[in-house]
Amino acid sequence: MAEAPSTPEPIQRLIEAFHRLPGIGPKSAQRLAYHILRTSEQEALALTEAVMDVKRRIRLCSVCLNITEADPCAYCSDDRRDKAVVCVVEQPLDVLAIERSGGYKGQYHVLHGILNPIDGVGPEDIHVRELVVRLQAGEIQEVIMATNPSLEGEATAMYIQRLLSPAGVRVTRLARGLPSGADLEYTDDVTLARALEGRREV
Amino acid sequence: MSTRPRSYNTEGVILRRRNLGEADSIFTVFSPTEGKFDAIARAVRKPKSRMRGHLEPLTRSQMHLAHGRNLDVFTQAETIAAYLAVRDDLDRLTLAIYCCELVDRFTADRAAQSELYDLLVDLLEALDAGASPTVARYFELRVLANTGYEIRLSHCAICDGPIAEEDTLFSVASGGLVCGGCRSRGGSGRLISVRAIKAMRFAANATMGQFAGLRLEAELEAELQRVLGEAIRSVLERETNSGRYVEALAVPLRPPVHESPGDVQ
Ligand SMILES: [Zn+2]
Ligand SMILES: [Zn+2]
Repeated sequence: MAEAPSTPEPIQRLIEAFHRLPGIGPKSAQRLAYHILRTSEQEALALTEAVMDVKRRIRLCSVCLNITEADPCAYCSDDRRDKAVVCVVEQPLDVLAIERSGGYKGQYHVLHGILNPIDGVGPEDIHVRELVVRLQAGEIQEVIMATNPSLEGEATAMYIQRLLSPAGVRVTRLARGLPSGADLEYTDDVTLARALEGRREV
Repeated sequence: MSTRPRSYNTEGVILRRRNLGEADSIFTVFSPTEGKFDAIARAVRKPKSRMRGHLEPLTRSQMHLAHGRNLDVFTQAETIAAYLAVRDDLDRLTLAIYCCELVDRFTADRAAQSELYDLLVDLLEALDAGASPTVARYFELRVLANTGYEIRLSHCAICDGPIAEEDTLFSVASGGLVCGGCRSRGGSGRLISVRAIKAMRFAANATMGQFAGLRLEAELEAELQRVLGEAIRSVLERETNSGRYVEALAVPLRPPVHESPGDVQ
């Protein structure tokens, strides 16, 4: 990043730290850093503490790898949830999205990533092995693949399906199709074809 | 002042995607007329985007772009072919991604290579129609030839002399087969079988469809894969990301390793 040479080093360092965050470009990083400079010491301290608390107190659930304070997490230790079904998602935010829908009462497994062959993200780079080990206990009968309907999400779902097929569990996939509010005229062929495959009686 | 038009149309295959900010993506496109280039699609990750899906990797699309300060910006995109059957088959999908990576790595920005484009479209169509994974070997051989790294198969790569009909030295460093005489004068490389040489010579003159029609034994297929993989690595001076992945798919995943201090690797 080309900064004016007169920028004091601490500010420069903060700008660079912000710039490393996802979705933050050089301009935004600069704005944020100068905003911090203007805030009170208290506010700055609260921010640092919040950041450190997340790092110190939040960890991955040893069962499902979701982020949690207590291990196992609230979902894994809830006896009212179905232990025979596990829903595989890319990231912790996806768990929240599925919980918000209110329609699912089973277990989760968070991959923390997605297979991306062209960028070199392979099976060893995401939490797939832990899923295989979970299945060996024999309690799980159905795995629902809830990866995104992108090329990478599809590749991940197919890979896991292949990996699990010798174990004899049922592997299902979230129905893919039109997002609500979509315009048929502008919908791509893949989405349309998938939506047709997943059609239902009205 | 430049008088170039502010926007243009092109068709192309999407080679890869990188996300940018909250909702934008940068796509790498390979076009028959523009060559390879990166362009930005604004708000394409929002569910209501009209271009979403028309710009997925491996999709062949007709696109309209506006010149931007750094990168050009997509203003419209419409799918020509989505290769659905490729997306539904893990092995074909992985091969298609691998071939897209080869195109990405063997090309420079904004250099039109329409033959290479036709080759890529042929490959995607063949895989979509259910061709055997062997077409990837044809693709590798042709990518090398199309980008100036043709493997010398008819004559010795060192002295241009004839090649005897026998297992022959293949030297990546020399760019092809090495005759017995040059071999005894210290050529190095690996020996490849007469069958592999014939298969590569055939590929050099056949169409993709003709080559796909060959029924290669697994052993020969594996030999071709090794030889061509070596040639590609030597040109790129590195492994391909997705090539590593093709191998990972073939190997079952090991259970997690719990490392203890006493463990010896
Ligand atoms: Zn858990
Ligand atoms: Zn020679």
